[in-house]
Amino acid sequence: MHSLTADIVLRSLGQVGSTVLAILAGVIVLEAGIYLIFGKLLKHRHTLPIMLLAPAAIGLLALIVYPIIYEIVLSFSNMSLFTFRNPKFGFIYAERNFGDVFTQPVLKLVHFLPVFLRTVLWTTIQVTFHVTLGMILALLLNRPMKLRGLYRTLLIVPWAIPQVVAVLAWRGEFQFEYGFLNIVLRDIGLHGIEWKSSPLWNFVAINITNIWLGVPFMMVILLGGLQSIDRTYYEAAEMDGAGPWRRFRDVTLPLINPVLTPAVILGVIWTTNNFNVPYFINEYNLESSEILVTALFRAAFDYSRFGFAAAFAIVIFLILLVFAIIYIRFSGLESVMGKSVQKPVPAGIGRTAAARRSKGPRGEVRA
Amino acid sequence: MNTTRSKSPRALGVMRRFFARSRGDSPFQRTLIHIALIIACVIAVYPALRILTVSLRPLNILMSTSLAIVPQGATLKNFATVVANTDFVRWIWNSLIITMSTAIVGVIIASTSAYAFSRWSFPGRTGALVFLLATQMIPAAMLMIPLYILSARLGIINSWRGLVIAYSVQAVPFSIWILKGYYDTVPYELEQAAMIDGASRMGAFYRIILPLSTPALAIVFLFNFMQAWNDFLLARIMLQKSELLTWPLGLQTMQGQFQTQWGNFSAAALMISIPVMILFFFSSRWLVSGLTLGSVKG
Amino acid sequence: MKKVLLVLSMFALATFAAFATGSQEPKAAGPVSLSMWTQESENENSYQYVQSLIAGYTKDHPTVTIHLLQKSTDGLRQDFLTASLAGQAPDFLWTVNDHAGPFTAAGVIQPVDKLFDLSKYVKSALDAVKLDGQEWGVPISNGNQLMLLYNKTLVPTPPQNTDELIKMGQQLTKGGVYGLVFNQVEPFWLVPWLGGFGGKVFADDGKTPTLNTPQMVSTLQFLLDLKYKYQIIPKESDYAAMDSLFKTGKAAMIINGDWSLGEYKKLMGDNLGVANIPKVSATGIWPAPYTSGKFFMLSKDLAGDKLAVVKDFINWATDKDNQLNMVKELTRLPALKVALDDPLITSDPILKGSADQMKVGTPMPTVVQMRAVWDAMKPEMNALLANSETPAAAAAKMQQAAVTGIQNMH
Repeated sequence: MHSLTADIVLRSLGQVGSTVLAILAGVIVLEAGIYLIFGKLLKHRHTLPIMLLAPAAIGLLALIVYPIIYEIVLSFSNMSLFTFRNPKFGFIYAERNFGDVFTQPVLKLVHFLPVFLRTVLWTTIQVTFHVTLGMILALLLNRPMKLRGLYRTLLIVPWAIPQVVAVLAWRGEFQFEYGFLNIVLRDIGLHGIEWKSSPLWNFVAINITNIWLGVPFMMVILLGGLQSIDRTYYEAAEMDGAGPWRRFRDVTLPLINPVLTPAVILGVIWTTNNFNVPYFINEYNLESSEILVTALFRAAFDYSRFGFAAAFAIVIFLILLVFAIIYIRFSGLESVMGKSVQKPVPAGIGRTAAARRSKGPRGEVRA
Repeated sequence: MNTTRSKSPRALGVMRRFFARSRGDSPFQRTLIHIALIIACVIAVYPALRILTVSLRPLNILMSTSLAIVPQGATLKNFATVVANTDFVRWIWNSLIITMSTAIVGVIIASTSAYAFSRWSFPGRTGALVFLLATQMIPAAMLMIPLYILSARLGIINSWRGLVIAYSVQAVPFSIWILKGYYDTVPYELEQAAMIDGASRMGAFYRIILPLSTPALAIVFLFNFMQAWNDFLLARIMLQKSELLTWPLGLQTMQGQFQTQWGNFSAAALMISIPVMILFFFSSRWLVSGLTLGSVKG
Repeated sequence: MKKVLLVLSMFALATFAAFATGSQEPKAAGPVSLSMWTQESENENSYQYVQSLIAGYTKDHPTVTIHLLQKSTDGLRQDFLTASLAGQAPDFLWTVNDHAGPFTAAGVIQPVDKLFDLSKYVKSALDAVKLDGQEWGVPISNGNQLMLLYNKTLVPTPPQNTDELIKMGQQLTKGGVYGLVFNQVEPFWLVPWLGGFGGKVFADDGKTPTLNTPQMVSTLQFLLDLKYKYQIIPKESDYAAMDSLFKTGKAAMIINGDWSLGEYKKLMGDNLGVANIPKVSATGIWPAPYTSGKFFMLSKDLAGDKLAVVKDFINWATDKDNQLNMVKELTRLPALKVALDDPLITSDPILKGSADQMKVGTPMPTVVQMRAVWDAMKPEMNALLANSETPAAAAAKMQQAAVTGIQNMH
């Protein structure tokens, strides 16, 4: 039994505190070095941004770039359970691994393409629901009202509950006899649904669970974005005769774009890589409910096909990368990355509003 | 292609209905809004209440066809068992200090880096932003083994050091993204005005930008916290001593090979959610306050 | 400004140095420190038992410390492989027999036949960790087999064969009560019936799957009939559901394993009955559930002083007193032969029932290929019981999936 005593509290605070201090120390050394080298020695004009970015850059290089390189190297090997201690490396293995990803079953029977298509379907459904429902809730909450704090706290419950626990709880609710969904269905006279053994309904179950889990987060993000939109825009638009839908389209959407677009892109990426929900709700290991990352996990950790799994991971990564690049090409770099410095000017607002806007609250003239 | 337009017609209709006359809401409008929110709250909260129901059941019996929230023979014994007979308090404490420190470090790193992305254009900026996006695309399970080997070589496994460092960095890309988006909505003139008044670049950042970005900082802090709080895979592979366990690993010890004590498990799950709910409740204030400072207009 | 930076940098460097050196663990001189992983969990009360064993040993051997870490069964397998890859594997394990297959294939554990006197252990337990002629684990408990458990208030005498089972089941299944429940999700519950119909999972070489056989088709048909023709089992039931139904008296009979005996005994007392899974009337053969147990396994790198201490600990933990103690605490059959004959077991009806079932069981294969077979059987078994596949189709798909899975392991 490891119970909590004052001694342990102090010791653990010390351990964590020393880690934070060490990180801080490292950062200070780093910044000093950059300042001296880039600032004083080279008189570089971008010294300050480099100083600002350096800690993050180094951390990411170590914790992300090294593993990626490791995985790439692994995909060139034949490492599996039998070749665990001495895997062999070479182009021929890379050929085989990458080839196998597309030609051989990625699990026992199912091939790459159905799993890929299902992942696309899953992501599309999820992101659509998350953004739509999140936006609706954010719009509803974006006004002074009684009980707003209470609503907000309650609506965040799905996010606050640890994800694994929530997923296991939902899994219990999909149980045929005792889950509340089927109990309710039977109470209103319908038959219970076989959530776990039917391929179709299991997929629906996975989607329901993840919608419940994901909407609060999107709601919080969008609410924050909505609240940073200045009221005068809406007033100006109303004075110009814009109705509610036009106000939403021409004021809200463009102004919330810098927040919404990244949220959508990240939503797509995270949903595609979402492991917990499809893995656990698919209690019966139906191959029809597997998406790319769950298949990857099984290949790596259930079958120990490490070389193959590394190639599989790289393929998934490249697919997402291609998606991101195409999306950026299509909608322009700025809608994703955001313009630096300036706020985008909303379209469709009349001249009076623009003129009004050009004087700040204290009367100073603005650009 | 602007994805913000590609919503289903049904959703648009709903939005139209509820957005109408929102600024000066009629009582009827208000009632509808309240009803909609109440329904949403019920949907959000009910499954969590079911966990409560299981935790109150005696003798670890999971199943019953009753929908009552408080079950027959409800008992708090499961909660008592978890607190007294397991290392539960220790797990929560471990998780709490790791998570708080990583959240603080993470916010500091991200807020400064995002500022650089927002206010400067330098060679490699686009590439770096794409790289940040790309880091989110890596399936997490594939990072496990190389991170473990790297940590073993650096000697930072079997203590919290490796975990704190890994967690701090893990949430940085997303945090930078969100913060940069918020910084972008703050006009540069504000810092210019401050610098004309004699502040340094970083002084303007500290005194003008940060206070305005409290909603974003709060979100980033919460996000960092949640990432570290909920992480299971990384903690499992890095922590090899039972006194170091965080709550996800601890909770797992309650799952047997075949059986799980659902009563205890659910009781523990609820108690774990409490620190997070408290955190959310308190930080919701910051999520609002940044707007009333007055200088955001324009 | 420069001076401030200089001072800060020196302070930072000093802290850094302290941090870096602080990360080296001090070497233990003299006293031995061991690390052990186990998949025994708290809620089966077995984790506490492991802890008490360790406490008992270290009390008599104060220079030894054993660090115990608990992991889930799959987590232990995955993490042990990862840790071995980085040279950080724990010294020894207390785990299930089928971990021996993957660990042996990856070369991360060492054989134990030359290190211990294995003749004192029950043969069926040793067979469960035998690969390529060597034993790879030291058994501590024996069993893990499925049995027929029944509620004496509903079932005064247990059925002797499947015809009786069906008749009793039909009489009992009414008003929300089921005659029989079992875990319809895991193929572990399929295997005994396969044995009862004369089928086998592997061919004689122990590695080639033989799942597409007439015996398998008969087995699948039998299970399908239990559900749809005789209707004595529920529509869906996983482990939690069947356990719940039996505990609340809504199931008269349940097929469950020895790990559940402790809890059922506490709940039902003398109303708990243990019997063999009924003989298959069509063939006259007893169903053969898989038997295994829990085993100590030694990491490949374990040597020298540490190995000596581990050997001593294992021999002590499996001596007669500790084994009988384990029987009392965990209601598990011991691995030590002399303990098995002790009256403690032969006079207890539950333990005796368990031992009787073990006699007609068959050792669970520990070969690496078993994993592929489990994964192949599971979805097809589920599809069959959901009535979306015929027994013949399910058997064929099982075989194909198993063969593919095994191929992919290389």
